[in-house]
Amino acid sequence: MSDTQMVLDPVAPAGVAGDSAAFRPLATLAGKVVGFIDNSKPNFSLLADDLGELLMAKYGVAKIVRHRKPTASVSASPQVFADIKQQCDLVITGSGD
Amino acid sequence: MVCSTAFITLGRSQLRALGAGSLPIAVMPHPFGVRTRVQVRELAETLVDEIVRLATGGIDKTAQAVNAGSAKITTAAVLAMPNDLIAFNEECERRRWSDGLPLIPPTASRVEQMLTGAQRARHTLVARVAPGFGEATVERIAINAVMAGCRAEYLPVLMAAVEAVADPQFNIQGIQATTNSAAPWIIVNGALATQLGFNAGLNCLGQGTRANATLGRALRLVLQNIGGALPGEMDRATHGQPGKYSFCCAENEVASPWTPLHVERGFAHDENVVTVVGAAGTLNLNSHSKDAADLLRVIAASISYPTSNDVHFAGEPWLILSPEHADVFARGGYDKVTLKEAIWAQSKMPASSFARKDYDRAEHTRSSELGGFARDTLVPISPSPREIGIIVAGGPGTHSVYVPTFGQTRAVSRRIDS
Repeated sequence: MSDTQMVLDPVAPAGVAGDSAAFRPLATLAGKVVGFIDNSKPNFSLLADDLGELLMAKYGVAKIVRHRKPTASVSASPQVFADIKQQCDLVITGSGD
Repeated sequence: MVCSTAFITLGRSQLRALGAGSLPIAVMPHPFGVRTRVQVRELAETLVDEIVRLATGGIDKTAQAVNAGSAKITTAAVLAMPNDLIAFNEECERRRWSDGLPLIPPTASRVEQMLTGAQRARHTLVARVAPGFGEATVERIAINAVMAGCRAEYLPVLMAAVEAVADPQFNIQGIQATTNSAAPWIIVNGALATQLGFNAGLNCLGQGTRANATLGRALRLVLQNIGGALPGEMDRATHGQPGKYSFCCAENEVASPWTPLHVERGFAHDENVVTVVGAAGTLNLNSHSKDAADLLRVIAASISYPTSNDVHFAGEPWLILSPEHADVFARGGYDKVTLKEAIWAQSKMPASSFARKDYDRAEHTRSSELGGFARDTLVPISPSPREIGIIVAGGPGTHSVYVPTFGQTRAVSRRIDS
């Protein structure tokens, strides 16, 4: 009979300050609410139209929420963030062209 | 996030700079802006599958391709420890793994069993925990949960609590390192709280309920072993407090005449939610009063004092009202909103009450918010009534509990994935 048992180390090595929180994957898209923040670049709103339709038809997404920034280089307003936070399980935005 | 190929590097570095480096990027061919309507549709038909793949936990190749110095997630080492339970705990004491009480050995099979309670993959990062910024992966959280004596079904609650304390608004770095007696108080709401056996009634802040005891304990072990705050080293608490062993309860939603906390904080009634509060301790508020106005007066007079961090820093103090006290207020026509307004108005403290040195610091902290600061300024306990937290918990009895806080902290709520 062994004198030792193998256990997993509960201690983490010290790291560096990184993300305040990690991305939380969803188990499924079915029944979820998906939001789009349109960065006002050409074609994004058309892409969002198509993605929204496909997400609902193919993956059972329950509802699509659409927001649009006034320009690409300005952050979305606190009201937009509050609405998104309250309603959405997943948010899709674009960067660049 | 959706990016075209030319913008992956920018997108990834923007996300990293904003503290969101783990958000997945779905990539499409560049350029995008000049595509025709038909081409946009074709792109959408391919992209939607990729978006869903990433959203449900698929590996993001762009995160690996643009390796701008962020470290790979570390997995837990396997260590040989004594087989005998007493000898194992002697070794834990030597290594400072414990809160001082005996631990359950986190063998591979026990950790596997614990992980059956998780909805996320073993090596997923949940948060980096200050002040050491150690990686709280699902695996490492599970290891500490085993040691604390948690059931596997508590793991999602624990993971949500770890996420919540890592939110910048909570200020875990300040709370871990302070000389103050701060500890996270975990409040559990929703049907899951009852299903898992969390105590919201008699002795809900005391010993005897496995869920309350082990969840709070597991969070403490995570803060110590993953966050790296060891007493006397990075943890500088002058005294600490008993809540650093465990401080966890459920809200007594059934006995409450009002909206439960999670609904108040924007969640749906049928969601299960954890809220963490940076608590400085507890104070027994014992009153037999059955008159709402009188009870209000004595509670307001009990919570505001010259050595309070909430008064000093415009904090977010909390009250746990017993069902009997809540009933007195409800019969007096109060709900949580009007009660907070009345408590806030009646609990202001004259600035002259501060000790001389504290007066100078409080003037520095609060004068711009208050539009001035003099000895006769009436200093409110929080910036507004909205920052007074109230839950209903406890069993029969004419007691409520005041929970002052660290002051420089705000409660954070997270949905429990289960």
